[in-house]
Amino acid sequence: MAYLEVRGVAKSFGKKKLLDGLSLEVEQGECVVVFGPSGCGKTVLLRIIAGVLEPDRGEVWIGGKSVMNVGPEARGVAMAFQNFALYPHMDAFENIASPLRARSRPEEEIKQRVHEIAGLLRIDHVLDHLPKQLSNGQKQRTSLARSLVHGPSVLMLDDPLRNVDAKIRYEMRLELPRVFRKFHSTVLYVTQDYKEALALGDRIGVLMDGHFEQVDTPAAIYGSPRNRRVASLFGDPPINLFPIRPERGGDGAVHAQIGGQRVALGPRAAELAGRDCVLGVRPEDVAFGFDQAEGGIPVELAAVTPFNVRTVTLLKAPDATEILASRPEDNSLAAARGHRKGWARIDLDRALFFDAASGARL
Amino acid sequence: MASLTLDHVTKIFDQKGRPPTLAVKDFSIRVEDGEIIGLVGSSGCGKTSTLRMIAGFESITEGTIRIGERTINKLKASERNVAMAFEGYALYPPLRVSDNIAFSLLRNKVPKARADAKVKMVAELLEITDLLGLYPPTLSGGQQQRVSLARALIRSADVFLLDEPMSQLEPHLRAKLRARIKDYLIQNKMTSVFVTHDQTEAMALADRIAVMDEGVLQQFGSPVDLKERPSNLFVAGFIGEPPMNLLKAQVTAEGRARRLVVQNEQGSQAFSFGVPDRAEAAPLKSGRRLYVGIRPHKIVVAPSGNGAVERVTGTVVSSQWLGDQSYLGVEIGDAFLILVADRSIRAAHDSQITLGLPYGALHFFDSDSGEAVLHGSDLLGA
Repeated sequence: MAYLEVRGVAKSFGKKKLLDGLSLEVEQGECVVVFGPSGCGKTVLLRIIAGVLEPDRGEVWIGGKSVMNVGPEARGVAMAFQNFALYPHMDAFENIASPLRARSRPEEEIKQRVHEIAGLLRIDHVLDHLPKQLSNGQKQRTSLARSLVHGPSVLMLDDPLRNVDAKIRYEMRLELPRVFRKFHSTVLYVTQDYKEALALGDRIGVLMDGHFEQVDTPAAIYGSPRNRRVASLFGDPPINLFPIRPERGGDGAVHAQIGGQRVALGPRAAELAGRDCVLGVRPEDVAFGFDQAEGGIPVELAAVTPFNVRTVTLLKAPDATEILASRPEDNSLAAARGHRKGWARIDLDRALFFDAASGARL
Repeated sequence: MASLTLDHVTKIFDQKGRPPTLAVKDFSIRVEDGEIIGLVGSSGCGKTSTLRMIAGFESITEGTIRIGERTINKLKASERNVAMAFEGYALYPPLRVSDNIAFSLLRNKVPKARADAKVKMVAELLEITDLLGLYPPTLSGGQQQRVSLARALIRSADVFLLDEPMSQLEPHLRAKLRARIKDYLIQNKMTSVFVTHDQTEAMALADRIAVMDEGVLQQFGSPVDLKERPSNLFVAGFIGEPPMNLLKAQVTAEGRARRLVVQNEQGSQAFSFGVPDRAEAAPLKSGRRLYVGIRPHKIVVAPSGNGAVERVTGTVVSSQWLGDQSYLGVEIGDAFLILVADRSIRAAHDSQITLGLPYGALHFFDSDSGEAVLHGSDLLGA
């Protein structure tokens, strides 16, 4: 039995059915990311688990017991929000210590636990600073330390990195897993940033239309999405989707028209001949080059847009099909302007096939 | 289309009952004919005031703005021949989307058939074909922004001014529309200036970018210039995502040899390496306090061969795979470094890892002034 279980939870607001009988299991020490577009019910789910909102139907179990008759303060659930508020008149040490003081822990234990977590979050040198003397990153760390210091059985974080600047967001994203490990925290982490979901989740629950469309490891969500909707939510630029109708040629091989070019689809498409499909190709699986490539599609390089540590190109095939391709940062490609002719080669070993009608992955 | 020149432009807001505020200070850039320029900086840096002065929505306190050879300081907004898409620059609610877009063309007596063809083309570009018959109040924020962009891009004007043109765009459209708009601006040789708080957007779209902070131009250069030769700490920290790793450091002397001692946040030594004994390394004077910087994707995992690479060993804090790239957090003597690789990296947490810091990718800034004193690429020169 999982440590935290959400069993068939439903919640409507007026006529709007926000959660439609969804279930989720989180093992002890696991971090599960609840990912979905804004307004999909992520925060409502957290509130139901915390006990501040009653579900219409369904139950929440923690540690093998139903907590439906347990008040929010007795569930052992800690919740941290986008805006971490610190007590302005207390120094960082006292802010972090406050949940332990509220539980009347002995002084020795308080000292030891505050210093331990402060060291882990690299704020041990500013523990005597008041919040106004802390940098934004230190404030963020201090409030995180406060929510973790008393060792909650379940930690729920509601988009905590949404409003912080880029430097802190990236640092915290990389440091949080270590903190979770150290405290053996069972974590539910809500975000609408797919990168954060891939980075932090042991598993990711993709919440859409009131239910989990897929709950899986990051590798499975990205590499084997259940359907094209899930595939489209992960990746930036998003996955290219080409409507195709694979046909079996005279040589027995299955091929399809992509961008007006006949492209052999390889053995994975053997069963798909005659069926309307959508081919999903991630931009990093399209190689653009100026030299003719075997199995390549003739294209025009229409635009080069540097994108953080990568370079994204917009390619146009003769039939006006657009293909987004991405490659590691390439300053030489970005230096020139205007259209250039070249070739796009799709890595079909990594391509995904979806049913055109249902969107399910084939 | 024309060039655009801002010559020593200053803007002071002087409102009754309030102390005057300096929004833009002695700002000079020249935008070439057909060039795409991004103005970036944090909120309050003066980028929007600059754009509004070009548009004619704000008076110019000092200096001159010229479009081509024409000084426009005293001209009304409507006389400047600029096209604009401003954030919150409202669409006409009683007009259908198609009429909103075509409005300026029809007012300028462009034949209906030609106007319709242009509307159709720009609607396809911005994925609003299905919205042409609707009225603006029924549209989402992202859709309204695309209509507003269409209305500006369809015009013919000397200069195009775009204020946060893509801030509301739906994430799944962003990459494609950025590329299409860039292509469109280039194909039509449109001189364009856009304002954004998002450096990622500026890097994607612009030929050159003006980075502003507190009303002052920090650097004006191509995306490659800003990445490879940031002029100061502000630019180094503002441009790039993840941002550049920046660590405090001090140069020490051991006899004739100099070493760079890199510190962690707490101020103690994290690691150190030798300063090359070359004339170009002169700014790294003994005793000088610096910040040393390296962009996350320039750090090499398990460096091979010799070359001009400094090797450091650290502990993996975490390793995260994001589909098309991997992020690694590594602690070296309590200093935290972020690195990005374009492949999946197997690195268990708490394991030891050897990283290469190529000299050519290091940047050095004076810790007092923040000015760049040396870019590592200068050390590699012949």
